[in-house]
This record gives sequence, structure tokens and C-alpha cells, in this order.
Amino acid sequence: MSIDMFDQPTEPRMNFDQAQDDNPPTPLEATQAPIPPAPPQQPAPVSRRKFMGKSVAGLAALGGAGVAAALGGVALEKLIQHGGLTTPFQGPAASSMQTGHLLRRAGFGASPEEIALYKPLGFSGAVDRLLNYQQVADDDLENRLKALNINLNSSTDQQRWWLLRMAWTQRPLLEKMTLFWHGVLTSSFRKVGGPRAYMRMINQNQFLREHAFDTFDNILLGITSDPAMLFYLDLTKSTKKAPNENYARELMELFTLGLGHYTQQDVYEGASALTGWHIKGLTSRYYPQDHNDLVKTYLGHTGNLDYKDVINILANNPAAPWFISRKLFTFFVYENPSTDDLKPLVDTYVQSGHNMGAVMRTLLLSPQFSSAKAYRSRLKSPVEFTVGAYRALGINANGSGLPAITTLMGQTLFDPPNVAGWPGDKVSALWLNSGTWMTRLNYIDLLLVRGTSAHGSSTSLVDLQGTVNKYKLNSPEQFVDHFSSFLLDSNLDSNRRTQLLDYFTAQDGSRGGRPITLTSGKSYPLGRVRGTLYLLMASPEYQLN
Amino acid sequence: MKLTRRAMIRDGLLVVSAGMVMPAIFSRGVASARAQALDGSRIAQTASDRTLIIVQMAGGNDGLNTVIPFTDPLYTQMRPTLGIPGTKVLPLDTRLGLHPNLQPLTKLWDEGHLAIVEGVGYPNQSLSHFQAMDIWQTLDLNGNGGEGWLGKLVAGLVDQEGHPFKALDIGVQTAQALQSISAQVPTVASVKSYAIAPDPADTDRGNARLQALMKLYNSYPGTAPYAALLDTNALNAQDGSRQLRQADATYRPAVTYPKGPFGDGLKVLAEALVQGLGLRVGYVTLGGFDTHAGQQATHALLLQTLAGGLSAFYNDLAAHGKADNVVIMTWSEFGRRVEENGSLGTDHGTAAPMFVLGNPVNKGIFGEPPSLSSLDGNGNLKYTVDFRSVYATVLDRWMGASSKDVLGGSFSSQNFLPQP
Repeated sequence: MSIDMFDQPTEPRMNFDQAQDDNPPTPLEATQAPIPPAPPQQPAPVSRRKFMGKSVAGLAALGGAGVAAALGGVALEKLIQHGGLTTPFQGPAASSMQTGHLLRRAGFGASPEEIALYKPLGFSGAVDRLLNYQQVADDDLENRLKALNINLNSSTDQQRWWLLRMAWTQRPLLEKMTLFWHGVLTSSFRKVGGPRAYMRMINQNQFLREHAFDTFDNILLGITSDPAMLFYLDLTKSTKKAPNENYARELMELFTLGLGHYTQQDVYEGASALTGWHIKGLTSRYYPQDHNDLVKTYLGHTGNLDYKDVINILANNPAAPWFISRKLFTFFVYENPSTDDLKPLVDTYVQSGHNMGAVMRTLLLSPQFSSAKAYRSRLKSPVEFTVGAYRALGINANGSGLPAITTLMGQTLFDPPNVAGWPGDKVSALWLNSGTWMTRLNYIDLLLVRGTSAHGSSTSLVDLQGTVNKYKLNSPEQFVDHFSSFLLDSNLDSNRRTQLLDYFTAQDGSRGGRPITLTSGKSYPLGRVRGTLYLLMASPEYQLN
Repeated sequence: MKLTRRAMIRDGLLVVSAGMVMPAIFSRGVASARAQALDGSRIAQTASDRTLIIVQMAGGNDGLNTVIPFTDPLYTQMRPTLGIPGTKVLPLDTRLGLHPNLQPLTKLWDEGHLAIVEGVGYPNQSLSHFQAMDIWQTLDLNGNGGEGWLGKLVAGLVDQEGHPFKALDIGVQTAQALQSISAQVPTVASVKSYAIAPDPADTDRGNARLQALMKLYNSYPGTAPYAALLDTNALNAQDGSRQLRQADATYRPAVTYPKGPFGDGLKVLAEALVQGLGLRVGYVTLGGFDTHAGQQATHALLLQTLAGGLSAFYNDLAAHGKADNVVIMTWSEFGRRVEENGSLGTDHGTAAPMFVLGNPVNKGIFGEPPSLSSLDGNGNLKYTVDFRSVYATVLDRWMGASSKDVLGGSFSSQNFLPQP
């Protein structure tokens, strides 16, 4: 073990040396340093012009069918018209598509009011606001959650608590980043020590939130000693004499390096080095007397290594920045990124001392993030779909149906299918099948038709007449365009817009209910009005993120 | 154009003849379906009634504590606390016996409907869950394959009547084994949830709204992102939800299924079989086998769930006269380390047994239980049977498919199924 391993600017904030005290510090007490600005120069290896030029050149060669494919299904004129190809984040105000895209990817979609808040900031101003979340107050969220008296020892209520947090927060990127980490450094309430220890999941979640943009080293140190993780991957059962391989393996395979960068011998040696941590009540504690003090050789480093050395070695392994950058890029931008796509993120990781906030800034400001290739290139995840509708439609309900709905869509928060997290996070097409598709439809139906409000009354969660009055919608066209503006960035093909209008205005008598009166004074049956919004949110386009 | 796409999705034969999938996989299937279409011959119908049910035991099942070499002193030596005492084991022969919680399977064994394939694995087995699962499901030994072996099979299946359930996966996530470039397998969490809720304000039970929605899907440009995925699933859902609801109205299980998602899932598969929904490939998963610590109670419960579910499923099919047409096969991504670890658990291992159940099965133990005295460098078992030869057997001898085309190579058959 060479000494320079300890000279990295990534010394843990947690004072592990005090861990033998009666009140060992928990990872939650760590403070979050502000995110340093992006490195000044940042020459992107692929210039924006070149990047876009490729798509456009491809267009000419491919002809009609290829156009949509190359551009992610967006008509070229429309992209140019909206600035998607020529001015991704210049000028005082960002375009609807840019703002919509940013708030979907770096958040969970947005209401008209939220878009109006972010748009004038310009693209980089909007990114700043999202990243510098400490400067945005979120008291309203905390008060609303408090008022619901949610039982955080219940596994369903835990999900509800986080889903509502995502729906109501003014810090959407913080929650999105926490969700990203939950999908990577994952644990499940099914294996954290039984119902009386479910709170460990919330503690882990709070840790990931508080450190979402911290250094990778600190995040890894915290998750290694996280009580839920200690139980979930059996490190708490690992002893000096009988190291358990589970955490040692997944830490390398799934959290930091990926297959091919370690051997089974590294699993054994890593398991020995990681011994010493055990659960103590709802917290955890390091027991030096239960640490295996033999000399180990781990990933080429030899010495009496312990967990700090393991994390240091991993965070400084050349494979780590590529591994975590690929995960981030896939989750936030598009799937199957190239080496060129990832290089700026990897460089930022190294230059910033492994700061994940700096890496995220590079990612969000990259031309790739704002490219046509990224736009609508992933299917909405169940959480993005359910929370997105809550945010966009401004729903104020107690969220009691949300856990069951997201589960049926294929995502139960705090209960990933296995230690690799959700397959859909990597390949978003895997979110969709016949069953989960119907659940998406039925969720929209639930919101528009039969939802229950925060007070348990059975009125619809979306006040359509109120919306019509508030935004002075005086025609079916204005109704469709209003919702399309923040649900689809107004990026709806005219033929398909016509299909929605036809549904709104059809005179076939099969759609009833108390009428909705547009500001023109003309009334339409409720079934037609809310049916039109249902169609828009059940449409193929809205399934995309 | 739209009609063609729809028709191709609906009709496997058109898919095959349009050259979208490898026709060789099901050349015999095509022939029998044509025969069936021409004269409705009873033989052809029987042939195409054959169903394969796959049960995935996710997490890496401890094969040694499932089919137990209870007379081998090395077993007791290396499993001092986790070993199942010989007195509790349910003996199958002088060497091997079942875990006591697999008791429901002994009846199937006694009646001659249970085969065990021992020592199943492949060269250089991966100790990674995810690489191993990839390998078992896509047969890419580098673990980065895309299309699943069952997906290839299903894409080649011919179904003249356009059944939406020629394949059916239970759960919310379609198994990788069923992934295919040209087929989307309906994925059902429960019969109740597999339906599109109508707006009560509409007097036509939601028909106009659903038609308008299907038009939005049907007119979504084929070159737009995820077009085929979205369109196919919408169509599967629309057709399938209606048929499943109708089937459910008259299905009465002949047995009580064990409570829980595994039993519920098997019940849906039985319903599809009993009600004649055209099911050829069914898939259900039981998870939680990654027993690194405190294995005993967890594993015992899982095996009880497995055996209780399989036995109920078999009895339900038998009571409805369907047991002759169904073969059930279990698999897990790997077995576990021979020597127990210090956490009362077992770490990732290699070779393990597979169960094959059903009336068509030849009873017996096939393959060779791996030696406990000749382990690999990691203390794991050396496999004796390649999993692809097990797949080849069910494909060639049961499904009437060409295993060479599905598996991308020739693998010898095992004798747990008779020669066709």
C-alpha cells in the first residue's frame, strides 16, 4: 500500500476513528460542500457542430425514414424551429423543448408555472438553479409531508413519502440524483433486518440525498458503512475469521468497476479488507478488533488494507470514472454512449477530485444532453411517469395509491428486483410490456376519473373546469395546445393533434358526464374533455422522456 | 402498410413468411400449422398444443441442499451446520435425496412424472449473478447477448388463430429469456390488473376512447422511437385483456394454490392452459435464492413455496385433463459454494440440478452429480451436463423446434424426454 493513496482530496468527512465512541457519528451528519464550478476550459472532444452535423448529414443520406430515426422521431423543421439544432442553450431564454427536456431528465417534468420559472433563466441558468439546490427553499414540501403524518416504518408509506417528495419538491434534480443512486447503490427493505429495521431504508435514502453530489469516495464510504447496505449485502455478517464475499463482489461488479476489472481472488481479498463493520441498532459501528489484519493483495495493492483503503483503491481505479459516467450518461442522456460521449465526464471526475456534482454539471451542459439524439430517447420509468403526472397537473393528493401503481408498472421504490437495481434504468425499453402499459393508462384514468383527494373525497384529482377558467381556454384547440405545451413541449405532430381534436369535438353521444364549459361559453361532455387529456397522456409520445 | 404490420404482429405465419425471423427455427412448426389450417387434423393440433413452462429460481439456488448427496461424507463435512441430516432427507435412490420441504414433489416422483438433471452448468462458469443470468437466457457465453432463447422460439411460433397468449410471462418485468427483436411477450402481473379501465362517464364502456387510443398508436410513425415496442404492446394488451377476462369468468381451479405471488402466477398460467388461450411458452419467477447468510430458514421456505406451487399447478392441470400437454422446467443462474461460509450461508457457486416435471417426462436422475472431492480452484463443483443440452432436449423432443437454430449450435439431447 503506497502512501500516496491517502493523499487524495477525498478523505472521508465521517470521523471513522471515533467509531468506538459511545455515540459513533452516523454518515448522515456529514455536511455537503458546495459544488465547485465546472473546470473552465472543457474542450468537448466532439464539437457541437460536428455532433449535430453528423445527424444532419445522416438525414440527407437516409431520406424520410432515416430522418425520424436519426433525430429521435422529431421532425427536423420542428427541431430547428424550436432551436434544438442551432441554439441548444444560448440566448436569454431557453426554448420550450430545451426546458421541457431538461426538467424531465434532471427532474420529473413540470407544470406550466414551473416551466415559466425556469425558461427565462436560459439553459445554463436553469442548470445552475437545479444544481445549486441549497439556494432553493423547500419548506413547503416539508410542511406538506409533515401534514400527512406518514409512518416511515411502513414499507408502503416509505414509498409514498419519497414519491410525494419527488412530486412536490422545488429541488427536482436533487431527488432525481437520489433516485439515480438508489438504482445503483441499492438495497431493499425486504432484507434490512425485518419490519422493525425498515427505517434503515429511509436513513440510507437520506444519506444518498445529502451526499448526492459529494465525491464518489465519500458516497462509497458512506454506503459501505450504511446500516441497510450492511444488512442487504451481508457485510454485517462478515467477520475477521470468515469474511463474507457478497458485498466485496458487488462493490466491484455493480458499484464501481464492472466485470472484467477484478478477479475472484480480489473478491476474497476485498472481503477480508472490508471486515470490521457491523450493524448496531439502527446505526452501524466499526470494530477494529473484528478487522482482519492480515496482509492482503487487492487490485494490485498490498498491505494490511481496510475498508478505507478499499474505497480509495476503487475510487482511484481508472475503470471507476468510466463505469460511473456510463451509468450517469445512460440514466440522464441516452443509452449506449460512446467513448467520446463519456470522456468529458471522466475528465471532470479526475480534475474535480471525484466530485459528482461537477460531473453532473459537465453532463447537463454537454451538447449530447441537449441533442436530438437524447430528446425523447428513453421511455419514462414508472417513477417518472407517476411523479411526472403529479407535478405537471399540480395534484394535491395523499399519494395513497402511488406505491401499488408504481409496483404494477414495474418499479417498487426501496425494493429493486435485485442488487443490480432496475434493468429499465439501463435499457428503458424494458420498462414497457403489455401489462405495465395498461397500468400506465389506468393511472391516467385514476387521476382524471376516479382519484381520491388528500381528504379522501372521491372527486377527481384534476379540476378540469378550474383549469379551463384559470388559463382561459376558449376552444378545443386551446385546450389541446395548453396541455401539449407542458406535457409534450408543444411538440405534437399536426395529424395527431387533429386526432385529439376529433375526439374532443365528436358528436357520437357515447361520452357523457357533467359538461365542461370553455370560456367561449360552449359546453362539452366531461367524457370528451377528460378523454382528450387521457389520450394525450396515454399516447406513445407521452410515454417517452 | 398498417394492415401488414398489424397482420404480421398478429399472425406468426406471416412473420415467418415475411422473413423477419429465422424461418429455420420453426420449419416443422410452420408445416404442422399449415396442415392444421388445411384440415384441422387432430395430430397437428396435438403437436401444437404442447406447452413449456419455465420456472426461474432467481439468485442462485443451493443445488446441494435441494437434491442432496446425503450419503457422501464430504457433504456433511463441508456443510457442518447447513447440511440436511440424512434422516430428514427424502431419498430418491442410495445417493441422492430431496430437501424435506420438497415433499410435494415426491408424489410426482413416485408417479413417474419427475426428472432431475444433475450437474448442469457450462465451461468457465461466471460467479456474477448478472453475467450468469445473461448466459443462461441468451446463450452468449460472454454474457452480453440480447435476444433470449425463448424469445427466438416464440418469435418463430406459428399461431394461425392469432392467440395473444402464445407466450406469457408472469410479473411486471419481461424475462430476458423471452426478449426478442420481433416478438413482445405479454406480461401479466394479475388477471385483475390486466385490463383497461373505462371512463364511467362514457356510455360505451370506453370503446370510443380505446379506439381513438389505438388509432394514436397505429398512426405513430413506424420510424419514431420505440414504435414497434409501443404498438405491439398496445395491441397485445387490447386483445389479451379481453380474452383473459373472458377466460377468467369461467375458470375454476381444481386445487387451492399456495398463497403468494408464485402460486398466483402459476394459477394464471394454468388458467391460460385450461381455457385454451393458445399458450405454448409460460414463464414465472421465484426469487430470493441468494443466500449468503442465514440460509437455512430462507432456503427451506423457498423450496416449500416452489414444491407447493409446482404440485398445485400439476394437480390443477391433471384435474382439467391438460397434464399430458405440459412440461415444466426449472433453472437458476448458478448453484452455491460447496463449503458453507462463516455467516451460516453459502457464496456463489457453479453447477446445480434442474427439475423437469410433467406426464411426458421420463422419471429418473439424468447426468451425473458432480464430485465433492474434485472441485475447481474456487471450491466449486465441476459441471457434468451443459445447460444447452437440456434446452436442446426440450426444444427438439418436446416443442418440435430446431434446437440448432434456436441455440446457434448442436447439443446432444438428454433422455429425460422420450424421442419424438
